[in-house]
Amino acid sequence: MGRIEWAMWANEQALASGLILVAGGIVAVAAQFKGWPFAAYSIAAGVFVCLLEYPRGKRKKGSTMERCGQKYLTAVVKIFGPVTRNYYVRAILHAALAVPAGFLLSTILGTACLAIASAIYLLAAIRGEEWNPIEQKKPPERPPVGGGTIKQPPSMPPPRPPVETRKKQPLEEAAQENPIPVTSEAE
Amino acid sequence: MLRASRHRPGPRGQSREAGEGQQGGGGRKEGRGRGRTSLDPQRSSSQTGSNSAGCSLKRCPRRGTRTMALCGKSWLANEGSKHLCLLFWFSLNVGLFWKTFLLYYHGPQYYYLHQMLGLGLCISRASASVLNVNCSLILLPMCRILLAFLRGSQKVASRKTRRLLDKSKTFHVTCGVTICVFSGLHVAAHLVNVLNFSMNYTEEFLALNAASYRGEDPRKLLFTTVPGLTGVLMVLVLFLMCTASTYAIRLSDYDIFWYTHNLFFVFYVLLMVHVSGGVLKYQINLEEHPPGCFHPNTSLQEDIPVPGSFEEPFPEYSPEAFPPEPEQFVEKNFVGICTEEPKFQSHFPETWLWISGPLCLYCAERLYRYFRSNKPVTIVSVISHPCNVLELRMRKENFKARPGQYIILHCPRASALESHPFTLTMCPTDTKATFGVHLKIVGDWTERFQDLLLLHSRQNTEILPNFHQRNYPKVYVDGPFGSPSEESLNYEVSLCVAGGIGVTPFASILNTLLDDWQCYKLRRLYFIWVCREIQSFLWFADLLCMLHNKLWQENRPDYINIQLYLSQTDGIQKTIGEKYQVLNSRLLIGRPHWKLLFDEIAKCNRQKTVGVFYCGPNEISKVLHKLSNSNNSYGTRFEYNKESFS
Repeated sequence: MGRIEWAMWANEQALASGLILVAGGIVAVAAQFKGWPFAAYSIAAGVFVCLLEYPRGKRKKGSTMERCGQKYLTAVVKIFGPVTRNYYVRAILHAALAVPAGFLLSTILGTACLAIASAIYLLAAIRGEEWNPIEQKKPPERPPVGGGTIKQPPSMPPPRPPVETRKKQPLEEAAQENPIPVTSEAE
Repeated sequence: MLRASRHRPGPRGQSREAGEGQQGGGGRKEGRGRGRTSLDPQRSSSQTGSNSAGCSLKRCPRRGTRTMALCGKSWLANEGSKHLCLLFWFSLNVGLFWKTFLLYYHGPQYYYLHQMLGLGLCISRASASVLNVNCSLILLPMCRILLAFLRGSQKVASRKTRRLLDKSKTFHVTCGVTICVFSGLHVAAHLVNVLNFSMNYTEEFLALNAASYRGEDPRKLLFTTVPGLTGVLMVLVLFLMCTASTYAIRLSDYDIFWYTHNLFFVFYVLLMVHVSGGVLKYQINLEEHPPGCFHPNTSLQEDIPVPGSFEEPFPEYSPEAFPPEPEQFVEKNFVGICTEEPKFQSHFPETWLWISGPLCLYCAERLYRYFRSNKPVTIVSVISHPCNVLELRMRKENFKARPGQYIILHCPRASALESHPFTLTMCPTDTKATFGVHLKIVGDWTERFQDLLLLHSRQNTEILPNFHQRNYPKVYVDGPFGSPSEESLNYEVSLCVAGGIGVTPFASILNTLLDDWQCYKLRRLYFIWVCREIQSFLWFADLLCMLHNKLWQENRPDYINIQLYLSQTDGIQKTIGEKYQVLNSRLLIGRPHWKLLFDEIAKCNRQKTVGVFYCGPNEISKVLHKLSNSNNSYGTRFEYNKESFS
């Protein structure tokens, strides 16, 4: 149990809670229940939580699976620096966001789920985890073939005429004529 | 329980299409400068044949890399029974939902309840019946001993049924997702019901209403009634289980998945208490009081409900006239005379009937597994192999296993709670009772386990071998459990493809063939092993050479066709070792060209059914699955069986 990274689980929970909040809010606003301003708030809070939690953080060990299309949101979340990097901030933020939605019946489940996510984030923060963005990898540079000294194909490939005849002819005529122009891939 | 420790964080996102492999026939040298040729005579002769216009493959228009050819016998053989089962399950759910919905919509015994609650009643009860079915079915794929028994007894189940058992984990996940979706629906409908109980409170139907006074706060009703409270707790447990079961979490932190999934027991206990609340009631005296009847006593007349309110889908928060005026009612309906007031009684909890069977079966199986695995095994030897692999040989009384099965190891000194599955690489036979596993050291449990085992071996090198026994940590073995690779001996021709450490199920098959190859239905085995490092082949190099030599001696050199591929190279020529010339001559650099391989096998085994077995990373699996489903012009059918890796 020593190497569990709680932040990843808290991230999944927060994303799911955001969706539940949005769903509950939509139902309450559409049916115009009493107290529907709370529902409108919960839709807004749910959308915010989803956007914040969509980019997955980088794991300490091993490779992390990215969510589809998360690099755009990663760029945005990265800008806020220590505010989004620290999990204590996230824990308190989620706890605060969850409270107002608890006053309406249809969003009460979203409150409970977001509260659990906030607790797990607190646990992750206590264990010293941090949110690090997943950087895009640059394609590795291939080293040039033969150390970069090979640029042209050989000028006199086999079958070669005997040594005597070779010496008489100048190099340009003995050279092979390529039917199609050739460029070296190492360039 | 799944294969945590054998997961290697492989390169994700690299699309491994059927790539540029090395064709070794006839001494041709490719551009990469690799000169190793395959000595297989069949291969070189068919090389020229398959390149000419031999195969015409029917393919449907491509829509991405995951397209399967939708036509042909191969697809039906591979996917047919699976989809049929899914269709059956789906229609069962839909039928049950519809039937329950109609029962509550039209049933006379629920007339008054329906009046009070509206559509929310029907939806919540219908989704509850779907939940009943799925909560009972979800336990069945997890009864591993039962599944292993069904796999082993060839008389009980035909090969088609046994192939269906490979999909048990997928079925479990499907039921799980259904439970989540319908729980959401059930909760939403019940929230509406709670609202209606509170708003439509009336003195006449005290027994029916869960609220105590009109306008009672619905949240109070939710948290103070038994079904309400247990329902809320169940949703929270389900939320925890769901969020920890996503693919990303299983891959990165398997422990979270495993520990939260064990909360299922809490879920089932809460479920059994949830349905015993007795809030749902039905009318029992239908003859004496037909619903909506006319009572001569005037005090009841004002409170007779009207069928007109049937059409309202959701009663709103704002106060509504309930019960409505009796004049409308008299015009619309023909009624009988009531002789007495309606009487209500709670339902018997139907859910208990649904889930008791599978739950008892599952608990019995867990108990049996616990008692069977309580005796520690005797560790015979521990061998270190290159590339972080450890071989462990053990002995246990009355332990019988078939090739391809796996066991679960539990070492209390390494971790008190964790246990991990490993495929058997050597099964006990009549003559030799030792069995073995190969473990790849990837996670923290395997590292601790390795330290415990090797520490004692190192310390005891000077002491007599007898002392080894006493210092090894205690290890408990649970199993053996079945896997798809067991079927490879039951096909006439089998193609076994292994990726890296995924070779372990096939190693036990090879060990069994080494013992006695003549008593099985298998006539030809194509063995393809793809590795990243050349040292990995040393894990089973001895086994392969011994098997090859034995078959040569017994005049069946074409029984096994070995091809080893080294998928990554840094340009330096490599060999496996001086004494493994058999394998060196069958080593090819680069990734296999799967399409050509399948064409070649199809051509050499016309009109036969070839079993394709794969264990390894997922990228190769997709390619093999697609090729197995596509048609070929030789009439050969490929049946695809995959061993799941994580």
